[in-house]
Amino acid sequence: MVGALLLTLPGAIRPAMGQSSSSLFNFPHFNPPPFDFNDAFYNANGISTAITALDSPQAARFGLFRQTGPPAFLPGQKNWVVDTSNTDPDRNNVRILATTAGYIDDGTGAPTQFISLIAFLLNQNFFTGVANKRGIQMQDIVGTFEAYAAPKQVKPNGTFQPTPCGSMGDPAFQNNCFDVTSVATPTLRQDWRFATNRSPIDASSPFGYFCDDILGMWIITYFWYVDTGFGPHQTNQCHQMLAALGQKNGTNLDGSPIIKTGDELNFLEGKVVGSNPIPGFLGTNPPNPPCTAEGQEASDGSDNGAVWLICPALPDPRNGAIAPDAFLDQVRKPNGVPLDLAFTANFLCLQFTGKFCNELP
Amino acid sequence: MTGNREITYSRRQFVRLAASAAACGPLLLSPRGASGREKTLKIARWSHFLPEHDRWLVDVYAKEWGKQHDTTVEIDLISTDQIHARASAETAAGKGHDLFMFPWPPAEFQPYAIDHTEVYQTVGARHGTVNRIGHKSTFDPKTKKYFAFADSWMPAPICYLGDYWTAVGAPAGPIHYNDLRVIGRHIREKMGVPCGLALGPGLEGNVTLHTLLYAFGGQVFDADGNVNIRKNYGTITALKYVKALYDDAGTPEQLTWGPSGNARAMQARKTSCTMSDISLLRGVEQDHPDIAKNILVRPPLLGSAGIMATPYVTSCSVVWNFAENKEGAKQFLSDFIDNFRTAYEKSGGCSFPTYQNTVPNLIRRLEDDPKADPPYKYTRLKDALHWTPNLGFPGFATPAAMEAFNSSVLPRMFISVVKGQLSAEDAAGAAEVEVKRIAEKWKQVSQSAGKKG
Repeated sequence: MVGALLLTLPGAIRPAMGQSSSSLFNFPHFNPPPFDFNDAFYNANGISTAITALDSPQAARFGLFRQTGPPAFLPGQKNWVVDTSNTDPDRNNVRILATTAGYIDDGTGAPTQFISLIAFLLNQNFFTGVANKRGIQMQDIVGTFEAYAAPKQVKPNGTFQPTPCGSMGDPAFQNNCFDVTSVATPTLRQDWRFATNRSPIDASSPFGYFCDDILGMWIITYFWYVDTGFGPHQTNQCHQMLAALGQKNGTNLDGSPIIKTGDELNFLEGKVVGSNPIPGFLGTNPPNPPCTAEGQEASDGSDNGAVWLICPALPDPRNGAIAPDAFLDQVRKPNGVPLDLAFTANFLCLQFTGKFCNELP
Repeated sequence: MTGNREITYSRRQFVRLAASAAACGPLLLSPRGASGREKTLKIARWSHFLPEHDRWLVDVYAKEWGKQHDTTVEIDLISTDQIHARASAETAAGKGHDLFMFPWPPAEFQPYAIDHTEVYQTVGARHGTVNRIGHKSTFDPKTKKYFAFADSWMPAPICYLGDYWTAVGAPAGPIHYNDLRVIGRHIREKMGVPCGLALGPGLEGNVTLHTLLYAFGGQVFDADGNVNIRKNYGTITALKYVKALYDDAGTPEQLTWGPSGNARAMQARKTSCTMSDISLLRGVEQDHPDIAKNILVRPPLLGSAGIMATPYVTSCSVVWNFAENKEGAKQFLSDFIDNFRTAYEKSGGCSFPTYQNTVPNLIRRLEDDPKADPPYKYTRLKDALHWTPNLGFPGFATPAAMEAFNSSVLPRMFISVVKGQLSAEDAAGAAEVEVKRIAEKWKQVSQSAGKKG
């Protein structure tokens, strides 16, 4: 499998690997691979590790649950292993192998984000209400960091489902809604988008992801194509916009365009975003009615899905952060081929050389 | 003169005020006070939500300032819902007060305002640069002049009754707008208590609905001042949301509440949540600590455009160009900033500074509030400057934006949808016609002024 994936690597890495196979993995390793946090650290930051919260089967915390099965995609493949090499006093000995891919939400949509999807938080009772050492409630911090999930909307029989089931959905379509009780990779139509870039420096958030959100948590924002966007009642405007966006980004497992940036999503939601983020589509007016929508699940848990994630991004995925035994968790086509090979390439470059592909000579 | 806002002084409050006034000691005023013919300074000021602040301002601060400046200071307190009419009457007559203090950016009254750049320069020399809210609320980027001076602002967090939200499995209160509707509905179903955002005309409803519009990505004007209320589908999304919120979790009373109606409803435990400044809490902390303890605050809710809430109040002052005592008015404003720390305390911490160094320990103060239970309750306001855009967002508070605000275009638009009188699309279309008329009017005013000058 890996051999097949290597064939997809950009030209730069193949010669680099070919020159000296012994030089693979032979690069400075100073970034540690990801481990889960220990219970004391969770508690100190306002997260309950009770068996009714983070350690419950529904939370599916790595180290307790999901050692095999999704996100692992090969039989027997492990999502995590016990590893005593950890030296970080805030972490435990559960090393995460499943490395989930995502686009960065900084406007570029670059395929550079790699995270460890440790656990799912289903309701407010996962928070203890204890503020962190700086007096800040974790839910206040997390609320500014959105991870954008894109569940599949087309059923195997080809039926398009224009709205999510549950409280986020349009009541008019509740008899034809898509499931939002799971964000496991096989249920997604495209890869995640992560707002790791948000920080006070550019006023995009009062908090910085890597400095304040020290559990690497996210609130999940689901986004979807609405009936007028990709359904039987698709408008001409949405048809044109989606065609142009598909040309730019490619299409997802549903056949609708992959959305990589916040501007693309906001524009398709009908918001004025300054300039048209979809080259090839004439005009700057957003669609009316819109082509997409977004929302969050009710935080009392009544939607039965994940509201938040414990899902820390690798601060710097280079130079050892992606271990030799780690594997890439990304959306795949039914035949197993990754939907977006740019993630695959970057992951393998990082794993084998310690660098992003575009940093290779 | 006292405005229409209900101000009731209990004996206990009055004794407290007298004691605090006595404890206040000498003011840190500039030692001017040169002898000479006594002048008069006439001030009209929006009635602060905490009577204690106005009692200090009128009975202590203004009197002391008057002594220092050989000036008789006359302050008329005016209810927030009467401010616009009173200012309009004065500008039409070309006479009245010297200084008019508004609870929102008075951009509409720009033709009658002096250029306040000098006041900003004077204050800036002592206190640094005015913050973003103050600047964008009082500066006209076209004329490059300040039409007013901003002394303070009030953040508008979400206030909610902890026991109601805990009872339905949401002890942290609403996190995002879907929560407000869904869990608010659960509370109404289970306990018969609605979610009570103010939706009617008036300051509270206007501020609440601007916040909702912005949170869903809607705009009245874009950053360049172009009318954008209908072009942007965020407006339609916000309208549909508020209709659903009202149907699922609301109450008819929220359409008709007068000034502070939402605060009184929450104090009476008749609403599970609302959007308000913290005067709502200050009003009950002393006399009903059990109720106050149960009212919690949190930052604004997450919407599709992010987390934001327009200021409940942006306190902006205008020295009229027909004022008889312009110099006194300007001096009063700059001296007021020198004494803002006391103003902050007397406002019960409701009025945040536009000059950060006047309350340098603001964060510490929020973390350890002497009246709050728990004392750190207001810590969640520490990032308020970040999540508070100015009225007029994403642009400046322009005359057209503020006329649209003061003519309650948004409350009327939202109410027409909530009541089922218009579809969201038609309501946005009607609002757009109205806002375009306002924008055109101000365009002509601007062109006319350009030709003259």
